Amino acid sequence: MEESQEGSIEEPPVEDLAASFRQSRKEFWFMVMTWVAFAAWTLGFNFLFAKGEEGEAVEVVFGMPKWVVFGIAIPWMIALGLTIWFAMFYMKDTDLGHTDEEYANEKGDA
Amino acid sequence: MALISFGIYLAFVFLLALLANRVGKSKSFVSEYFLGSKSIGLWAFALTYAATAASGGSFMGFPSLIYTHGWVLAWWIAGYMVVPMIALGLLAKRLNQVGRIAGAITIPEMLRHRFSSQMVGNLATFLVVFFMFFFLMAQFKAGAEIMATLLEGVPVYQKLVVGVESATAGMPWIGNAKADYLLCLIVFAISVIVYTTFGGFRAVVWTDVMQGIVMGIGVVVMLVLVISQVGGLGNATRQLDEMTPPKFVSVTIASEAPVEEDLRLPRGEWLLVKGGHEVIRLGSAATIPAKGEVSAPVDALLITTPAERDRVKRRIDADLKITASMASEPEGYAYGEDKKGVYVHAPGPHRINPAGFLGVMLALSFFAFWNFSGAGQPSYMVRQMAFRDTPTLRRSMVMVAFYFSLIYFPLVIIFTCARILLPGMEIYPDRVMPEMATVLTQNAGVPWLAGLLVAAPFAAVMSSVDSFLLLVSSGVVRDIYQESINPKASEKQIKRLTYIVTVSVGVLGVFAVLHPPEFLQDLIVFASAGLGACFLMPMIFALYWPRTTPAAMAAGMGSGGLVILILYLIGYLQTKEFQEYRLFDLHPFIWSVVVSTLCLYFVSRSTPAISITLRERFFGKEQK
Repeated sequence: MEESQEGSIEEPPVEDLAASFRQSRKEFWFMVMTWVAFAAWTLGFNFLFAKGEEGEAVEVVFGMPKWVVFGIAIPWMIALGLTIWFAMFYMKDTDLGHTDEEYANEKGDA
Repeated sequence: MALISFGIYLAFVFLLALLANRVGKSKSFVSEYFLGSKSIGLWAFALTYAATAASGGSFMGFPSLIYTHGWVLAWWIAGYMVVPMIALGLLAKRLNQVGRIAGAITIPEMLRHRFSSQMVGNLATFLVVFFMFFFLMAQFKAGAEIMATLLEGVPVYQKLVVGVESATAGMPWIGNAKADYLLCLIVFAISVIVYTTFGGFRAVVWTDVMQGIVMGIGVVVMLVLVISQVGGLGNATRQLDEMTPPKFVSVTIASEAPVEEDLRLPRGEWLLVKGGHEVIRLGSAATIPAKGEVSAPVDALLITTPAERDRVKRRIDADLKITASMASEPEGYAYGEDKKGVYVHAPGPHRINPAGFLGVMLALSFFAFWNFSGAGQPSYMVRQMAFRDTPTLRRSMVMVAFYFSLIYFPLVIIFTCARILLPGMEIYPDRVMPEMATVLTQNAGVPWLAGLLVAAPFAAVMSSVDSFLLLVSSGVVRDIYQESINPKASEKQIKRLTYIVTVSVGVLGVFAVLHPPEFLQDLIVFASAGLGACFLMPMIFALYWPRTTPAAMAAGMGSGGLVILILYLIGYLQTKEFQEYRLFDLHPFIWSVVVSTLCLYFVSRSTPAISITLRERFFGKEQK
C-alpha cells in the first residue's frame, strides 16, 4: 500500500489547490477566529465581574446574576445569530462527490 | 407508570430498528451498516449529532455539578455557545469530501487512504478502540443507574432483583455485583445491543432523532415547571444568594421511645438534631438497635442555611421521636464555608479545593475542550462523513445551534433552582435529575409526566452508547479484519462477523462494568479528552495541510494520546484517585493539543512529503 515517494512535492502553489479546498480553509480560519473572539469575551468579562463583591447582594437581571447575563447569555445569543449567518450566508455549497446511493443508481441506470 | 413509559419507549426503539433494517436491505451491507450509505438528511443528521453529543454526562453529571456549585456552571459550559459552529463546521465539509474521495467508511480507513499508509490506519484503529471502550463502559453504567432509579419501588422489579440476587449468588465476578444494578445493566445492554446489531447505523440515527426530540421536550417542560414552582427565576436567584454550603458530619441516632425491634432508617431520611435547632440528612442507612440503644455513627449532611432549615423542619414528622446527636465536628467546604453568595458567583463552592470550583484557567480549558475535543471525537466525525450534501450541513448547523441553546443554558437554570426545591441532595448528587423530575411533576399534579422527563437522560445515554458500540465494531471488522486479515471477504462473511463483533463488544462492555468505577464523569472526560487528543490536530493537518506526512500523523496521534495518559498517571500517583494532573491549572487536553501540533509540524517538515499523485487526489483541482 505504501506509495513511492518518487515525485513527492513540498508546498504546492495555491493556484494548484482545488477551489473547494481553498473555500473550506477560509471557512476554517473564520471559525477559529470566532472561537477566539467569544473566548476572549466570556473569559475576560467573567474574570473581571463574576466574582462579585464580598458582602454585597447579587445584582439580578432577567432573573439571573448580572454577570451571567452580560458574560454568558448575551454572547450566547450573539453566537447563535452569528452561527445562523455563517451557515446560511458565509459557508459555500460544495460538490462533495457521489453518495453510495448515487453510485448504486448510476450503476442501475447503466 | 414509569414502567409503562419505559415499555412504550423501548417498543418504539425496536420498531425503528426493524424499519431501518428493512430500508437498508437493498444496499451494500458495510456502507449501509456503518454509515447509512452516506445519505443522511437534515433532521437525521442534526439530531443524531446533537443526541450523540448530549450523552449521560449532560443529563446526569452536569445537573449534579450545577446543583453542587451553582451559577458558575453557566461559565463552565459557556463554550457550547460556539460548539455548533466549531464542532460541526471545523472539519465536516472536508471530512465528508475526503471520505468520499477515499471511498472510506471509517475514520481509520479514511486516514489510511489519505496517506496511503497501513501504519497510520492501524494506529488510528487501535486508538479509537482503546479510548472508545472507556466511553462504552461509562455509558453502560449510566444507563443502568438511571434505570435503577426509575424502577425503584416497582413491585415486579423488586421481585426480579431478588430473583437475580439468588440466581447469581456464589458466581465468580458476577455474584459480587449489586443485584439491582446487574439486572438493569443486563436489560439496558440487551436493548441497545439488539437494536444496534439489527439496524446498524441507520437505526442508530433514527433512534437518535427520537431520543433528541425526547430530550428537547423534557428540558422545556422542566424549565416551565421549575420557574413557576420557585416563584420566578429572580426569586430563586436571590434565595440562592443567601445560601451557604452544607457541612458533613458523623451522627448517632436514638429513639426517645423504646423500640421493640431493630429500626432501620433509610439513606436520605431527614432528622432533627437533639435540641431541635439543627437538621441533618442521613448519607447512609442507619439502624437503631432494639432496647433503646443508639445507632452506630453514620455519615450525615448538616443544613446551614436558616431558611432552608426551616423549610425542612416543616417536613419532618413531629411525632417521630427520633433524634440525631453529632458524633464529630461538622466539616465545612474548603471554599465557601459559611459564606453567602457562593452559589451565585465564581469560582463556586468546593468541598476539597480551597480555590473554589472554577478558576479562569480552568474556564479557558473547558471553553476549548467543549469545542475542539468535540470536533476531534471519532463518533462525531463518522457522522460528518455521512451527511448527504452541504445544504444539509449548513441547515443542520443552525438546527443544532438552536437545539444546544435550548438544552444547555436551560439546564443551568433548572438545576440552580433545584437547590430551592430539593435541599440536601449532596448525599447523592447524581440522582438530582430523576429526583427533580419526580418532585416537579408531583407538585404540578401530573406524576405521569415523570416517566417522559426521566426518559430524557435515558435517551441521552442510549443514543451515545449505540454510536460507540458501532464505532468499536466498525474498527474491528472494517479496519482490522477486512483491511489486514481478509481483504477478499465476501459480504456474507462481513455481515456475520459484524453481528458477532457488535454483540461481543457489548457483552465485553457489560462484564467490564459489572463493578463500575466510582467516578463516572471522570471516565467520560478521560475518554473524550483521549480521543480528542489523538484525532483533533492530526485530522486538521490531514484535511487542511497538504504537506502533512504519514510519519507526522503517527507522531501527532501517538503523542496526543500519550500526553493524556501520562498526565492522568501523574494525577493518579498524586491523589490515588482517577484524576488528571493539571499543569499550570490547564486540563491535559490543552497540553496534548500543544504537543500533538508541534509533533505534526516538525515531523512533517523533517520527513519526505507525500507523492504528487496522492496530493492531487485529495487537494488538487481535479479531486476524484
